[in-house]
Amino acid sequence: MELKPQPGMAETSVLERIEGRFGYATDQQHLPGLLHGAILRSRHAHARLLRVDTSRARLMSGVRAVVTAADVPGLNRLGIVVRDQPVLCEDRVRYEGDAIAAVAADTVEQARAALEVIDVDYAPLAVVDQAETAEQMSPLHGESNLLAREAFERGDTDAAFARCAVIVEHHYQTPRQMHAFMETEGGVAIPDNNGGVIFRVGCQSGHRDAEQLADILGLKPSQVTVEATPTGGAFGGKDELTIQPAAGILALQTGSPVLIHLDRFESCRTGIKRHPVSMIMTTGCDRQGRILAHRVDALLDTGAYASLGPAVLENFLDHATAPLYRIEAYSVSGRLVYTNNGVSGAFRGFGGNQATFAVESQLDALAEKLAMCPLALRRINLRTVDEPGSRGQVVRWSAPPTDVLAEAGASPLWAPAVSDARRRWLTGTGMAMGAQGNGLGDGLPDRGGGRVSLSAEGRIRLEFGFSDYGQNLAEAITCLVCETLGCVAGDIDVVLGNSRGPDSGPTSASRSSVLIHGVLADILPRWKDRVRDQAAVLTGLPCDQLYSGPGGLFAGGRQVLSYRELAEKGQPEQTRVDASQAFPVAPEGNQLVGRYLQLQIATVARVAVDRLTGRVRVTDLHHITAAGRVIYPPGYLGQIEGAAIMGLGMALSEDMPTRQGRYLADNLDQYIIPTLQDVPDQRVDVLDNTPTTDRFPVRGVGELGIEAVAPAICSAIEAATGIRVRHLPVDAGYLLAELCAQEETCS
Amino acid sequence: MSDPLSELNPVTERRAIRVLRPDSPSEAVSLARRFKVPYMAGGTWLQPTHERDQCWPEKLVALNAAWPAFRGLEDDSRGLTVGALTSLSEMARHPLVREYLPPLALFLNRVAGPGVRALGTVGGNLAVGGDLSALAMALDVRVDVLNRTGERTLPLSRWLRERASDDLLRGFTIPDCRGWRISLEKLGYRERFSPTRATLVCVHDGDRVRLAVCGEGGLLRLVAPETFVNDRADLASGDVGAVIDRELAAHGWQDAHLRMALRRMTTGLLSEVALGT
Repeated sequence: MELKPQPGMAETSVLERIEGRFGYATDQQHLPGLLHGAILRSRHAHARLLRVDTSRARLMSGVRAVVTAADVPGLNRLGIVVRDQPVLCEDRVRYEGDAIAAVAADTVEQARAALEVIDVDYAPLAVVDQAETAEQMSPLHGESNLLAREAFERGDTDAAFARCAVIVEHHYQTPRQMHAFMETEGGVAIPDNNGGVIFRVGCQSGHRDAEQLADILGLKPSQVTVEATPTGGAFGGKDELTIQPAAGILALQTGSPVLIHLDRFESCRTGIKRHPVSMIMTTGCDRQGRILAHRVDALLDTGAYASLGPAVLENFLDHATAPLYRIEAYSVSGRLVYTNNGVSGAFRGFGGNQATFAVESQLDALAEKLAMCPLALRRINLRTVDEPGSRGQVVRWSAPPTDVLAEAGASPLWAPAVSDARRRWLTGTGMAMGAQGNGLGDGLPDRGGGRVSLSAEGRIRLEFGFSDYGQNLAEAITCLVCETLGCVAGDIDVVLGNSRGPDSGPTSASRSSVLIHGVLADILPRWKDRVRDQAAVLTGLPCDQLYSGPGGLFAGGRQVLSYRELAEKGQPEQTRVDASQAFPVAPEGNQLVGRYLQLQIATVARVAVDRLTGRVRVTDLHHITAAGRVIYPPGYLGQIEGAAIMGLGMALSEDMPTRQGRYLADNLDQYIIPTLQDVPDQRVDVLDNTPTTDRFPVRGVGELGIEAVAPAICSAIEAATGIRVRHLPVDAGYLLAELCAQEETCS
Repeated sequence: MSDPLSELNPVTERRAIRVLRPDSPSEAVSLARRFKVPYMAGGTWLQPTHERDQCWPEKLVALNAAWPAFRGLEDDSRGLTVGALTSLSEMARHPLVREYLPPLALFLNRVAGPGVRALGTVGGNLAVGGDLSALAMALDVRVDVLNRTGERTLPLSRWLRERASDDLLRGFTIPDCRGWRISLEKLGYRERFSPTRATLVCVHDGDRVRLAVCGEGGLLRLVAPETFVNDRADLASGDVGAVIDRELAAHGWQDAHLRMALRRMTTGLLSEVALGT
């Protein structure tokens, strides 16, 4: 089924975001007594801090507070997995975005002027800027620059390779991609006049951030409130704390609200990026194309601090095992190293799409060696829905992988494109597949809760801890609630992202939709019962004749009580229902590895390659998705298309290279993201075979769309030119040189 | 002359910049000279440059598009005269552009984005070696320049070599190029709103071919390739590639792959002007 945009599909807030009218946390410029904060960043990628003298800054006009490491009230460290990053550096800086001091002043201008007169003496240290040699360099933390090494093994790989008729081995490289959200990192910290702090900030997990912030600020958890305000994009880049610690310390010091909003330069310099991965992949199969053996040796550059690097490595390796395909034996290993090259961490796809790029390229390489259709090779290796996952775990697909492949094979994009009169543009079509699991996985604690109540004003109030950063969760929740209660959108208030409300866990790992659906399935029937009980008392009608509908309670097709009347005359506080549930994992007894709820995508790409310059235009993308039931069509479409555009950027233009630990791009005029003119025509198909009785019919699609885009584009480039690109982003110069070499050979 | 001290800009939140607003071009020249500060037209180049460097001038001399001959397009016996403060988007939609430079309107779609084209001026684009500079160079435009010594009209190429910091560009004149065959192409990093890697222009004036390029290696009239091509009877068949490569490499175009693309693009554009398409 093709999911098509419908007229009026765009929700109001989408237009507000596009037109810059949406109210973000960073727009709160008129809070009484508001001060503006600014953060002093390191001038060096790696140095000892010999002296930080703030005396001149403290005397500057308008300056209300200047803080350094000595002023951090609690733990001077942050990090979701490993708390290894100083809030404000004490004696050493490890990347050019490291924070050294922070200033609060009456205006941003004054705060930034004060930063200029903070005297810092550095003793530069050798910069660890090559991931390949990082382990031989002086350690940035502890005893070694090797942060993590992990390996997944299955069967006897050497023996399996020995039986292979065809083996392909290639080196792959993926870029350091930036999230490039519309709204850069920012928010405001507001003292609550009882010694605590309220944060209104763009972030991905209010509850988790509140815990970290309490430790940093030396406060009790109950003294920190985080309101995760709707933000202009996050994509993993706001998973870690950003400006909150500095804003919080300054707010406590001054007793005033402090707003910090990074400009684009500071965001580029300090923000988390996607892990660049360098990997060698070796894959072998028999003469019939059955994959027997697979080996991966990968190196991930995590930068100066761990952030979510270890979890990214795990997900990368999970995807490197080629989860869609039946492989007799594999040996998949990866190392995660510290360098002074910024900080890498969470980013839509979370390491998985880097691995999928290489895996799918390997399949094409095998098919070419066997002179076999790449789709046919995939068909004989795809798992069935009854088979376990690549790591032996029970998995749950929403459609047979071969069905997804068949739909991809039937895509209209395989029809030859009309070529230009001068044959300047070489066209080609290619495809790739990808699998993606929902949830944090690998046995990590993963729970989420929500709440429904009737407000005093007679509104059906839904509360979740998730953040809205453009995916429009509120609309998805509203759709589900309307479907279950028979009410209309106007009856409902959705409140998201308040750490005082229910803890839903982080807005990441494509987990929100799954938990929202599960929690609503639990709380709404109970809420309905409570409301009916109260309505029965108030109306005198039997409970079993009452049902919820638009605007209120109905009996016999007619409204007998409005929600407002119910709230006024009944006991709305008694309608509150809370629930929390564990994220679905494999049934008891199964090993807690990988992820249970699995999604698939096949992306078919058509490209045109300029014979004269080597540049690539992606003209069409056709995605066949198997990701369960669609509960909110605009959200589904937006997630798949939006993620695919990010994949397009990763494939064709986006990278943040470094030299001596310094990023070579500092703004969006140098860091090249796709514009609308670069975005191809896209079609999204939905394949959903989940039965109506399925316990988990809804899956999260926040990351699925990015999974197979890059390998599909490279496959299409190969179809157009005969040249396979294995290092991303695609270098037009490389392609041109190869095209010229081909022409010389032919002539 | 109004001389208000500009307030802190609530949007950019930058330090106050004193914007000098002269009443006449000659006053603009004297202010620029006196304070050694830059002129500002659309500001689309200055703003990101200063933001990147975190180095803002204390003063700017604001130019006024209402000054005579500074804005708009007119044609006369000399050709087509374009005011320097004409915005890129005005240029793109002007009927005289369609008459004199038919491919330019479409090409301008690939210069910056709509917002920048609405503010950015053709004079500013020429002055910083932007996308239009290769076209202007290939067309042998003459620029009208004011400075402390008065007014003068001279070839663009000469002005770019000799210009002084207080030179104020009033406009430029394109020779009557109706009937000439013009082909131009931009190679960027993406389809739109991209820094120029290279913009290549090929013009056939009915007698000779002219070639010019601007971008990563700088603005350059491709003299040797022009000679090579013009000495051959068949424009499309000459192997001009090696000559172009040498010329580009000798003038600072370091990227061998980019030179390779330019060689092939030149061949394509030469075919277009040869065929008249």
